[in-house]
Amino acid sequence: MTASLIRAFDGTFGILGEIGGCVRFVLKNIDVFFRKGVSRHEVFLQIWKVTLQSLPTTMMAGFFVGAIMTVQFAMQVEAYGAMGFLGGLSTSATIRQVGPLLIAFMLSGKVGAFTTAELGTMRVTEQIDAIRCLGADPYQELILPRMIAIVASSFALLTAGLLMSIFGGVLLAMGFAGINADEYLRHIPTIVKFPSVATGIFKCFIYALLLSAICTYKGFTADGGAKGVGRAVVQTAVATMVTLVVADWATSLVSESLLTMLLSIVSEMSQITESVKAGAVKGP
Amino acid sequence: MIDFESLVKRFGDRTVLKGLSFTVQEGEIVFILGTSGTGKSVLLKTLVGLLRADGGRVRIAGEDVTDLSEENYLPIRRRCGMVFQHPALFDSLTIAENIAYGLMKHERLSLEEAMPRVRECLALVGLGGGDPSLQPDIQLETKLPTQISYGMQKRVSLARTVAVGPKILLFDEPTTGLDPVTTRQINHLIRDLSRKTKTTSMVVSHDMDCALEIADRIVVLDKGMIVEQGTVKEILDSKQPLVIDFLAEAKARTVEQ
Repeated sequence: MTASLIRAFDGTFGILGEIGGCVRFVLKNIDVFFRKGVSRHEVFLQIWKVTLQSLPTTMMAGFFVGAIMTVQFAMQVEAYGAMGFLGGLSTSATIRQVGPLLIAFMLSGKVGAFTTAELGTMRVTEQIDAIRCLGADPYQELILPRMIAIVASSFALLTAGLLMSIFGGVLLAMGFAGINADEYLRHIPTIVKFPSVATGIFKCFIYALLLSAICTYKGFTADGGAKGVGRAVVQTAVATMVTLVVADWATSLVSESLLTMLLSIVSEMSQITESVKAGAVKGP
Repeated sequence: MIDFESLVKRFGDRTVLKGLSFTVQEGEIVFILGTSGTGKSVLLKTLVGLLRADGGRVRIAGEDVTDLSEENYLPIRRRCGMVFQHPALFDSLTIAENIAYGLMKHERLSLEEAMPRVRECLALVGLGGGDPSLQPDIQLETKLPTQISYGMQKRVSLARTVAVGPKILLFDEPTTGLDPVTTRQINHLIRDLSRKTKTTSMVVSHDMDCALEIADRIVVLDKGMIVEQGTVKEILDSKQPLVIDFLAEAKARTVEQ
């Protein structure tokens, strides 16, 4: 009983220690970024690599997500005779919820695991020590370009994934729901408005940031030879999946609150402007 | 040049270095001998700040570097070139880019500008185009580390270290995993490099043969403490059991060969 409690206690503190270590690691990177900057060439090289690695998979997954959402929504809206709204509803749901999460999962599986394995191998074969011994800073040379690249690429991948989801949705709508492309696309601009896009971008940014922090941290701190690198990759996969699901809940909550607040401020301001204008027209 | 004073290093409950004190004079080649796990590599890593001492002081050219921040250690590391046990070459860079890495970072040179120095360093480690018996492959510079042999990777690693012109060269088991012929070549290379570039060298090894051949002084470690130190002659006359074991093993290996 006591041993189990001690193990549970150690496990809890182990996880908290990892979270603390990861936060310190991110803060260190932010500090290095503002003090020393980062090589643009290296950042663009990493963006190119990350985007290229994940683009085909993300596009394919985006296509099927669009298709799935269309099928699901078609079954719901058909009962209300609102098939004209199918495209708008399906695209809105993809942008706000499924799209960013999908991109993050794709990046986690492809780029996250690759980055951890690459940095972990560099760690255990003393390449990171060699960089330090050559008087360079591994945070500036290795970590920052990768973190920035993952965040930047996620936007490009989100765009590509969403475009493919619309394409997949159109095809499925034509085949499954019996509506044409024009009808499907017509209500996208009326339903997918600024709040949906802003929520999608906000979520995408947060997920990419979390993923980049976890995968670089686990790779950078890997030890114990090939086995240690394997362990770090598995830990990255598990940690990113759990973190992304938790972050999905948290960002949904935060983004909804922020947007509600923002929209109420905007509407109040427009009311004030209108009343001021009305006052000016009436005169004294 | 290098001064260790009562150096202590712990990993958790385990004390690896237990109050080491010795000095390395300028221009000397000092061998640190000892069995595996006695803290030889830890000693080198503590010197270059990859690990931090838990007690005692480390001085390089009179400057106390024990408590320097990571930032302030960077210029110190440029003066101390370290050759690792693994070649530790950057997998994604070509041989030329690996060697030019330090020059490109510190002197802001482009690869083209660094190439003369790269070729000079390759020649210094016996991989220049000038000696066809050693390296007839003129495409070496554009190859990736995985495309060359382990022995050549070790040489390239050495070339990368000397390219930035360090005043101190540190070798962490430079001949581990190499055949006897390449081992001898690398050992001679260490000696020639130290003499040619007038650098102070510390070599961590468990190869007594090699130490007797090229060392100016030998320090023998056991369980984190110095059990013997002196010139080659003094080591040969030592009555310390571990030194006698090392000498006997070296003699047996020579007979075998």
